[in-house]
Amino acid sequence: MTSKRAILLIEDNPDDEELTRRAFKASNISNRLIVARDGAEAIDFLSAAGAFAGRGAEDDPCLVLLDLKLPKIGGLEVLQKMRANPRTRTTPVVVLTSSTEEQDVIRSYGLGANSYIRKPVDFTQFMEAVRILGLYWMVLNEPFPYPHA
Amino acid sequence: MAVSTGITSVGTAPEQYTRAMLNILEDFSEEKDRLVDTQRAVLNILEDIGSEKGRFEEIQRAVLNILEDFSSEKNRFEETQRAVLNILEDFDAERAKTEGANRDLREAFESLRRAKEAADAANRELEAFSYSVSHDLRAPLRAIDGFSLALVEDYRNLLDDRGCDYLQRVRTATQRMAQLIDDLLKLSRLTRGEVEFAEVDLSRMARGIAAELQKSQPGRRVTFRIDDGLTAWCDARLLKVVFENLLGNAWKFTGKKERATIVFGAMQAGGTFTYFVRDDGAGFDMAFSDKLFTTFHRLHLEKEFPGTGIGLSIVQRIIRRHGGNVWAEGEVERGATIYFTLNPHQGAES
Repeated sequence: MTSKRAILLIEDNPDDEELTRRAFKASNISNRLIVARDGAEAIDFLSAAGAFAGRGAEDDPCLVLLDLKLPKIGGLEVLQKMRANPRTRTTPVVVLTSSTEEQDVIRSYGLGANSYIRKPVDFTQFMEAVRILGLYWMVLNEPFPYPHA
Repeated sequence: MAVSTGITSVGTAPEQYTRAMLNILEDFSEEKDRLVDTQRAVLNILEDIGSEKGRFEEIQRAVLNILEDFSSEKNRFEETQRAVLNILEDFDAERAKTEGANRDLREAFESLRRAKEAADAANRELEAFSYSVSHDLRAPLRAIDGFSLALVEDYRNLLDDRGCDYLQRVRTATQRMAQLIDDLLKLSRLTRGEVEFAEVDLSRMARGIAAELQKSQPGRRVTFRIDDGLTAWCDARLLKVVFENLLGNAWKFTGKKERATIVFGAMQAGGTFTYFVRDDGAGFDMAFSDKLFTTFHRLHLEKEFPGTGIGLSIVQRIIRRHGGNVWAEGEVERGATIYFTLNPHQGAES
């Protein structure tokens, strides 16, 4: 595993947050999970601004799990801002959301998402999805070599 | 003085007169010749004029004829003029009528435009609603399902079998609700987007879906009889959904038969094709045939034949968007036939 860098979960629903933690645990994904509960908070965290001004580079996430429907600033705008910022330009972003509305899928990929997963209602399936996702991005995938490309 | 000097120098006076006289005579004779010439020329001219006169008379006659003709033309022209005036008068009346009709037409267009605007607004609202349903209604279901499973997994020792069974029921119901939401979204998506008409080979489409069904359960003994060369002017993407549902239903409701036959064919009457999909499966009671197309209304138990009851509503919606009609015939345990028409003229001009 890549030096156990943090995973950033951008999710406003505490139930989904808890279920995601549970699924991570069940799949033995031991990376630290940082949670941003709305789009504005996520952008501040990712660019080390606002309440997160001066946070260390060691908190730069190695993977972002992004919900699309978020308070304040939506997921697609977060993604757009991430891709415009050199610090997060190459960070893998997996859109993890409820809908498979075609427009959401198209826009997500258009803005540079690496993957798009619809959260299944069946929790058994959800855990399986998280397990595969962790295995792929934390173990199989070779990340971009420099943290701030 | 000067004159007398001149005369003196020329000659004597009588001689001078004689010569002058002679000169005059000579001049006169010349003049006479010229006069004769002139006279001859005049005579010639007169002669010419004589023949010209003949021609002139002819011309005059011709002109008179023309004038005569012209006069009858003039009469005719006046008649024509009168006719034209009548027509103009009629035209005025027609124009007034046309203007009235135009006004009516403009008003009709205007109300059509307003209706379209309202429909567009309703569609946009529906889209926003669907988007919200697709996002927001599923999240609580995930929590219900997830935490039910967490209870079974983490607190198994605190629950008896009945407790576990109840939680399992909670999960089953949750997943069914998720399926219903997905089906509703599918149905609402069908009302969005344009219907794109093209010539579509329905026989080929039906064969493709039949092959997929056979691949999904290779053990089943089902004969597909699909008529050749059935085409229609319709939206290929939407008609594929129709066939997936109709052939899928036929496949499902023949599932308990040892052998089954599924037919796709068409009948023609007065230029209109009626297509049908027929099976010899579980069928249905005709007393409930009107309920067949109601969303989420089912005529069979979930445990007999699984499903949410959305398929035929989807079919009906698509067929109606094509200006066609759909109806069913059946008998319990003797199969069902679903008939449909597609308005062949709708969209044909565009």
